[in-house]
Amino acid sequence: MDIKEKTMLRGALVGLGRMGLTHLSILRNHPKVNFVAICDSSSFVLRNVGKYIGIEAFKDYRKMIDEVDLDFVIVATPVRLHIEVVKYAVQNNLHVFVEKPFCLDAAQGSEIVNMVNGKNLVNQVGYVLRFNDVFRDVKKLLQAKVIGDPLFFKMEMSGPTVLKNSESTWRSKRSEGGGCLRDFASHSIDLVNYLLGAPEQVVGTVLKKIYSKNVEDAVYSTFLYRNGLLGHVRVNWSDPSHRKPTYRVEILGRNGKMIADPHTCKLFLKNAPVDGEFTSGWNMRYITDLTKPVRFYVRGNEFTQQLDYFIDCIFNGSYGNMCSFADGLATDSIIEKLIKNSAERCGQYG
Amino acid sequence: MDRIIFGDNQFFGINHFSEEKAQAQSERFKDLNAIIRVIDTAYDCGIHAFMFNTHSRVAEICDHFRANPEKYADLRLYPSTPYAHKYANAVNEKGIIGALNDFMFKGRTAGQVLGTFVRGGKSIINRNMIEVMKILVDTEMKIFRGLNVRAVFLQNIVTDLLLGLGVKDVFVEFAAHITKNYGVEPAFNTMNMPYLVDFLLDCGVANPIVCASINKIGYLMNPSRQAYEEAIRTKPFRPMAMSILASGAVAPADAVQYVAEQKNISSIVFGASSKTHIQETKDLICRYQGIST
Repeated sequence: MDIKEKTMLRGALVGLGRMGLTHLSILRNHPKVNFVAICDSSSFVLRNVGKYIGIEAFKDYRKMIDEVDLDFVIVATPVRLHIEVVKYAVQNNLHVFVEKPFCLDAAQGSEIVNMVNGKNLVNQVGYVLRFNDVFRDVKKLLQAKVIGDPLFFKMEMSGPTVLKNSESTWRSKRSEGGGCLRDFASHSIDLVNYLLGAPEQVVGTVLKKIYSKNVEDAVYSTFLYRNGLLGHVRVNWSDPSHRKPTYRVEILGRNGKMIADPHTCKLFLKNAPVDGEFTSGWNMRYITDLTKPVRFYVRGNEFTQQLDYFIDCIFNGSYGNMCSFADGLATDSIIEKLIKNSAERCGQYG
Repeated sequence: MDRIIFGDNQFFGINHFSEEKAQAQSERFKDLNAIIRVIDTAYDCGIHAFMFNTHSRVAEICDHFRANPEKYADLRLYPSTPYAHKYANAVNEKGIIGALNDFMFKGRTAGQVLGTFVRGGKSIINRNMIEVMKILVDTEMKIFRGLNVRAVFLQNIVTDLLLGLGVKDVFVEFAAHITKNYGVEPAFNTMNMPYLVDFLLDCGVANPIVCASINKIGYLMNPSRQAYEEAIRTKPFRPMAMSILASGAVAPADAVQYVAEQKNISSIVFGASSKTHIQETKDLICRYQGIST
């Protein structure tokens, strides 16, 4: 049936960890979604889901996709499995939402981006910060050139995620998407890419171990752009002074500056635009002014906004959507540049 | 039910509106005595009811309460459990089973572990989510042993996650467990009040206590402020209002007036750090809600 004739979409989820459960919770009661199948490798999870949630459960995603009539699939498996699950879903003409980061190998990611090109499939990567209302506002203000052409930015992210060596888990295995760069810093890198674009070159990259033996706990780098923009990225997931991950971006332009976190944007203007929305000097923009309630809230309203956007795109037939596979691939490519630059020039300091 | 309850987020650098405020609060309340001083200020203002998360530092506050029984003779506590943030990272790193093993067995004596096995044996063998929930609640409720607990809240992340999943049994069993084991009422924190109220009534939880953000600007009121107002007006439940000031986005008098206009709101939870703010907010609530001071 043509999607335009449908009133309900049939969805499935692969991978019931923390993000998988969040996505399932948010979409289970979406008025236009019928959640019909889930897939996970844990029998504990499957047993409980079957018993309490009443959704058909599978251990093998291929079997699920083969046997169940589906419109879309949410992929929230460990990162190393993203490629094969997403590929199979796309081959079966399903719309796909995949958690971040997109994949571990940009060449393979590129293959999938090529596969979805011209396929009329909605493809989205879960960089949830793009749906935060303050960062959306920052993007809008940048596009309107309120602070003029950006000259310099500083993107900082810190959190208490790794405060000891945890060699036994996936977090300390690069082959499984562990390490601060892919698991944690990818959010900041994507946010830079969203707000300011991908850098032409990255220099002075240091991937620093603090507690971990096999992977980096901090990422420091300088991003250079063809138009002269320069940015510093500083990300550290071994900072015990924070209760949870914090993000802060500062952008200096010719006509002012923005300092934003997920709750507040402080905007300084040398000369205020004539339309009257802002004045010269400091202007404060708070999340309480910028955000609206969501249909159903779990853990933060941007999680609902990103999934509702995905569902809306399927119904509207808008395929080059925000945070597409191509965007996810762009972030993966920057990550590869950072690894390469670090190994070439600064590896010995890491 | 207490009409005015003092909340605890400010003590632990939890602020849903501003990271800078959260940071300042973390600095200020590093020292337990700084927390106790504010609690005592609220107590001396006549607020004897407190809502606490099962944050690890709350254990120290509860030790202080137990060490001074006369001073806190009229204390009434409303714990919110489990402290989900503590589990979230572990679930991400080790999966659900690994995280549960950690929290149920780590750092405990052989005797304690054996005790949990006897009680949770069923969960290990049957792998039953409900039993796991009860063990987590019981483990965290140990913080409040010997104190006057009036209701036990299911923390909002857990409530909303399970609400979305539609797991009725957990809500029914949580309610029964709290009533049976603690002899008090079950209660629920949520960011989705109208939806949760319908769901709880559907589960057979009669006249539930539901705590949620209720403020004039509709912040964190999902799906809409209007839906909250209608639920409060028409459904048989006991609404408890929190975040009434939307962290300064609403002036105190306007905030309290708005809540007072929503008839049927049983209680207001608010947090503050200075004597002036505590007294002012309390006086406003008493005036608008017709509570004698």
